[in-house]
Amino acid sequence: MPGPHLDATRMVRRAAQELFPGAVVAIGTGLPCYLPGEFPPGAGAWFLADSGVLGYRGLETDGAAVDAGGNAVALRPGGAFTGVVDVAGILRGGHTDIAILQPSQVAANGDFVHWTTESTQGLFAPGSAVDMAYGASKVVAVMPHTYPQGRKNIVTSCNLPVDGVGRIDIIITDAAVIKVGPAGLELMEIAPGWTTDDIVAITDAPLTISSGVKEMTFNVPTLEPPNKVYATAFEALADVPEGSVINVDGFAGPGGMAHYLMVGLRDVGVKGLQLISNTAGIARMSAFGAPNIIDHSILVENNQVAKATASYPVSPSASRASAFEEAYNRGESKLEVVPQGTLAERLRCGGAGVAAFYTPTGAGTLLAEGKETRTIDGKEYILETGLRADFCIIRGHKADTLGNVVYKGTSRNFNPVMATTAKITVVEVDEIVEPGELGPEEIVTPGLFVDRIVLRPPDFSAYL
Amino acid sequence: MTSVSDNTSRPGKVFPSAQAALDGLTQGASVLIAGFAGCGIPENLLRGLAETDVGDLTLICQGTWIQESGRFGIADLVASGQVRKIISPMPFYPEDGGPVKSHWESGKLELEIVPQGILAERLRAGGAGIGGVFLPTGSGTRFAEGKETRQFDGRDHFFEVALKADFALLRAKSADTLGNLVYEGAGRNWNPTMAMAARVTVVEVDQVYEPGGLDPESVITQAIFIDRLVLTS
Repeated sequence: MPGPHLDATRMVRRAAQELFPGAVVAIGTGLPCYLPGEFPPGAGAWFLADSGVLGYRGLETDGAAVDAGGNAVALRPGGAFTGVVDVAGILRGGHTDIAILQPSQVAANGDFVHWTTESTQGLFAPGSAVDMAYGASKVVAVMPHTYPQGRKNIVTSCNLPVDGVGRIDIIITDAAVIKVGPAGLELMEIAPGWTTDDIVAITDAPLTISSGVKEMTFNVPTLEPPNKVYATAFEALADVPEGSVINVDGFAGPGGMAHYLMVGLRDVGVKGLQLISNTAGIARMSAFGAPNIIDHSILVENNQVAKATASYPVSPSASRASAFEEAYNRGESKLEVVPQGTLAERLRCGGAGVAAFYTPTGAGTLLAEGKETRTIDGKEYILETGLRADFCIIRGHKADTLGNVVYKGTSRNFNPVMATTAKITVVEVDEIVEPGELGPEEIVTPGLFVDRIVLRPPDFSAYL
Repeated sequence: MTSVSDNTSRPGKVFPSAQAALDGLTQGASVLIAGFAGCGIPENLLRGLAETDVGDLTLICQGTWIQESGRFGIADLVASGQVRKIISPMPFYPEDGGPVKSHWESGKLELEIVPQGILAERLRAGGAGIGGVFLPTGSGTRFAEGKETRQFDGRDHFFEVALKADFALLRAKSADTLGNLVYEGAGRNWNPTMAMAARVTVVEVDQVYEPGGLDPESVITQAIFIDRLVLTS
């Protein structure tokens, strides 16, 4: 007789071993809902539910927040609320490290079926499983090995409509841990009291027994939150490679601009940068600024800018050219002009994993030249593609040490959307606080988008 | 901070009852309904809709939230025969289908299943004036079948057209009389997206303040998207 089937707690405790410090973990409905409760409140992982809860912990009895399964949950210090469209962007945009799902069936090639059984043929309830399985770097299935009534859930090929093709990486059941590889399924671990023969007997798909097969363990790892706070702007940007695409926030004037990070980037001195920004540095030339205010011009004058993608690239004054305008006129820098709404949408799509979109703005103008057009419901649209960047330098008002950011007034501008589009997002703030000090309803940029935080020194001047 | 009770004279967008706020929602309408797994449901507005004789409705929602004692959900509208079609990522749980399952099985209710991220993105596109988008999700599954396919960055993407509706029924914690909204907890869910995607947006709120009563940094849905407010009872 095989040993007892593992209970939900021990299944999710084993699944917890797949996490690492700082991981963004999307939790699906069903068994995975028990996992966040196994970690202490200060654990360094982001638990995300598609209900719009980010950074939460165990099942509570009451509250204004629910997880993917509709269970009441509570936030961890530094947790925040968001909407489902933003959750979809986090999942599809590649901001998730691990997805934990409860499929009703997994095939030997990693295909899976979510929440559909023979008894509900045609129900097809994907929820967010399609998005979770697509976007996460690793997909973990937590599921009963056989259920209901001895139905074998790990199969050679799915006999129900699938919600993801070849997406499952590891299967954790109430009896075993199975790895999904190019050569099929490999039995890695077995539950106490079970034998490899017991597992083979309840698995429909062929199983290779790993030479290192061992007994499952149920210790939950300690996850220390990674340190994101850097001492100086220079240190936070020291590894920016030559030729990087860099999002630079700001609107027109000095407001919402990461002046301290700009100086850091100038001092790092890296060349060939491609800036994406609303302007290419006009604060000095406009009525908003002053001739000695810090803007993109300090990078241009240091010969660091190869290209700008912007909506207001040049000086509003015909007689006073900006530094970028002069560099452009000398042929040293290239320029791509994008209207502001299109620029914002291209960034939003880049961050949210939307490859391309049809926008009606600009249709029929010079800006549409060379672009695909399409008529939808009698209206002409042009195809625009999502924009992504290597680095992003943004300006917040306050951040907590996990990277959650709040802004002040119109300095919010491009910051929240740019924060979602870069591989490395660096934020400059007036104040750094502990997790839990920013209101979870007020956090605008969730910390999972922010990699590095620097404090703008109190005596730092935005004027040269 | 002044709270406006429902017996004061109606300042602009504040309506005296759910039924009054649903004026113009007619036979065959498409209706967005916010809420997630029972959290943040516009329960009074749904009840108000059930009290009308409007039918043949197409509802777009996350789920239908099975009937619970003392609560009112979309399942009740289905039970009363007012719903022709539901577009949803998870219309009911396999083991707990209720009237949605029985109406679907008997052919009285049509279900269109759309993964949550695709549905959210289609609504966002509709609300933001985008005609359609190319999404990478659903590749190799029934959700990509028959759709225009194009490669970006060496990966298949599928064309999804924007989605809009006649009405949106939302639920917020607080509003000001202009229609600015804040939510509570996971009650935010579909609300901000759906608020942008309907011709007429109706919100059920716990409390209505005078303009200025909400912190401008904390407003999630801006008043320009909101047409009608009604106090939850």
